[in-house]
Amino acid sequence: MSDKGKNLVFGVIGAFALIVIVVGLAEGDSTAPTDAERVDALASSIKCPFCNGESLAESQSSVAAEYRVIITQRVADGATDDEVIDEFAANFGDSYILDTSTSRWSLALWLVPVLAIVGGASVVGWMYRSGKQRTKVTP
Amino acid sequence: MIALAGYLAIFIALGAAIGIVIQGIRYSRTGDASKLRLPTSVLLGAAITSFVLLEIGILNSEFSIAYIANNTSLTTPLLFLFAGAWAALEGSIVLWGLVLAGFIWLVWRQVGDNDGLGVLALAVMGAVAVFWFGLMATAANPFAVCTQAGSIGCVDSSWWPFVESVMPVDGRGPNPLLQNNFMMAVHPPLLYIGYVGFTVPFGFAVAALIRGDFGHTWLDRTHRWSLIAWVFLTAGILIGAWWSYEVLGWGGYWAWDPVENASFLPWLTATAFIHSAIVQRRRGMLQAWNFLLVIATFALTIFGTFLTRSGVIASVHAFSQSVVGPVLLGLLAVIVIGPLGLFIWRSAEIAQVPRLDSLSSREGYILANNLLLSVFAFTVLFGTMYPLLVEAASGDEVAVGRPFFDKASIPIALLLLLVLGIGAVSPWRVATPKLLWERLRLATVVGLIAGALAVVSGIDSTSVVLTIVLTFFVVTAIVVRFVSVVRSRPGSKIKASGKVLRNEPGYWGGQMAHVGIALMALAIATTGGLATRSLVALNQGETAIVAGYCVRYVEPVSRVEPNRTVSGVKVEVMDGSCTDVIDTLEPRLNTYPGSSQAIGTPAVSTGFVNDVYLAIAGGSGERIELNVFVFPLQWLLWAGGAVVVFGGLFAMIPKPSRQHRGSYSSGSTEPAVESEASDE
Repeated sequence: MSDKGKNLVFGVIGAFALIVIVVGLAEGDSTAPTDAERVDALASSIKCPFCNGESLAESQSSVAAEYRVIITQRVADGATDDEVIDEFAANFGDSYILDTSTSRWSLALWLVPVLAIVGGASVVGWMYRSGKQRTKVTP
Repeated sequence: MIALAGYLAIFIALGAAIGIVIQGIRYSRTGDASKLRLPTSVLLGAAITSFVLLEIGILNSEFSIAYIANNTSLTTPLLFLFAGAWAALEGSIVLWGLVLAGFIWLVWRQVGDNDGLGVLALAVMGAVAVFWFGLMATAANPFAVCTQAGSIGCVDSSWWPFVESVMPVDGRGPNPLLQNNFMMAVHPPLLYIGYVGFTVPFGFAVAALIRGDFGHTWLDRTHRWSLIAWVFLTAGILIGAWWSYEVLGWGGYWAWDPVENASFLPWLTATAFIHSAIVQRRRGMLQAWNFLLVIATFALTIFGTFLTRSGVIASVHAFSQSVVGPVLLGLLAVIVIGPLGLFIWRSAEIAQVPRLDSLSSREGYILANNLLLSVFAFTVLFGTMYPLLVEAASGDEVAVGRPFFDKASIPIALLLLLVLGIGAVSPWRVATPKLLWERLRLATVVGLIAGALAVVSGIDSTSVVLTIVLTFFVVTAIVVRFVSVVRSRPGSKIKASGKVLRNEPGYWGGQMAHVGIALMALAIATTGGLATRSLVALNQGETAIVAGYCVRYVEPVSRVEPNRTVSGVKVEVMDGSCTDVIDTLEPRLNTYPGSSQAIGTPAVSTGFVNDVYLAIAGGSGERIELNVFVFPLQWLLWAGGAVVVFGGLFAMIPKPSRQHRGSYSSGSTEPAVESEASDE
């Protein structure tokens, strides 16, 4: 096959596969998480008291195990994720909630890394441009 | 007796380290390395002696030494006794010192005559050794004698070795978690070799800065050392992750715990450094950047030690519970401020005119990934320190954990993979779109088809699908490149493959590591995004179905082992129809003397498609609660990791000399693309 022909075949197949992916993903999340998955996600968003900074999901202490039972119970009772988090925040304090998305400190946490990547990219861009200028001066 | 001898060895090592610094500075002009023979040898000898004495004391249960009384016991099995030497702070510093002394001695053997750079680098490394042995001689004396015994272990100890010592009846034994699996004996030494190994490029970098030797000599001299350190660091992290998965029972391998982050941070910057060093050696760019990266990597290894040793992580409120904390923090300050000051002072001379011909080139893509790796490191560091920063700034208490790190790292990691795939097959200077498309079209199509198949088979997580696309893209791109380079050679394809690999061990070792990284990324995505987690309650004899597997509670098991009491359950893992037994597992709870808390130990059945992971969640006897986790492709994480380590080792193979290469390329026409595949 000629190179052009190859390109055409690759292009068509690739485009078709891309469409399948985009359409498939756009249809979205069809499966709701199981209770155990929700318990795991919740437990990993709450810091365990007295556990060297581990979350309730990771700690193997009996305290953490008891709190996991409580979360399991609340999820089985039909509580939403936010309700469970709020209950723990009320009992433990906000500093035990590892998911900072509700905290007023959340914005800075996300903004600074984004600024770092923008800043870094600008430096690379500057390097590139000054390199270009130099080539113009001395061809 | 052992205490006194050990203490003496530490002081001799300290003296030898000071000798290295003095002699190194004195002879840095003439570069007379023979003047360092005595102090480097004495340092190594004394470091070995102190380590051996500690081990002898441990094996003889010499509980009059406080460290031994508090970290080993009469019932500790031999392997964990031996590993007891690095089970806690003071002992691990002895191991650290030993590794450092070994590196210094090995570097000294390579320093030639009239080698001012090498001699000065040794002086810098000697200064680092002064710090560690000074720490052992003062704040963290591993041979401190016990002055007041508890019922087990030692309650109070004295720094001064001549006081009258007491001998506790039995020791406390190591932390139960540490004696639950043999990997714990391997994981710390590997990490230490990795951490300490970066002292070598750091030493050469600082020496080059002092001497004003800004070329790539220091990189040429250290590139194999950096690789060795990187390989050990990689292996150490992987084994730690494996231990966490196999032993801790929470069903994961990475928790974004500050201590884990502390090992990941220098890995990220070291990975960036290894790549940017190639760019400087090949293209002369990034001189200043390489100095910065190597200083950052070394500082982060100390920062990691500080985090693990100071008590900052146990509680974010108590800054430095141990005396070692402030000392380490002081060293950190010296390491960051000293070389950075030196760097800034020299920066006007270092800064050369940048010469990036095109953003689309090998160096351009490496630069992009350097940026991503650095931002990744910065993000992890920032997230880890954020609670401290916020508290210091406002008094508010916040916590940053898995939710943030997972969300932040996914986009960075996906971008890294994409750029890695393109950069791996790009030539230096300029990669035209036409050339890139030629080399990447098959990879692009294969990646997209794999992604489409994943979507069709019901995977609906965007990050998992993207990872599948990129994994297949990267692996195919590298394989296609290899095949096309081999094809362009005459003769037998098998022979040609061997020759291609042998000609460019650096490049192809790197590509193996890239393939390993892509496989690991796939496993991280599948085990994270497609796992099934279920909690089942079973009466004896009952079965439950989880994700197509049938688990049956057979019977409770309990037994007494020399160092622990085991109480577990026997569980059969069967296929979905509950007929064929795939595996019989025994998740259990171990109770160690000296600790009331039972340590859960999971049991894992590893399959080609899925791992079935069982951990006891509660209940006992007749009725138990069992966590049943199913992790798709978990084995690929460990296999991918092994490929990464193998690739790193392969990259260390010396390149055949020019002459040798010429001899077998003269008969045939050396393909023009060959030089483009090469990385150096």
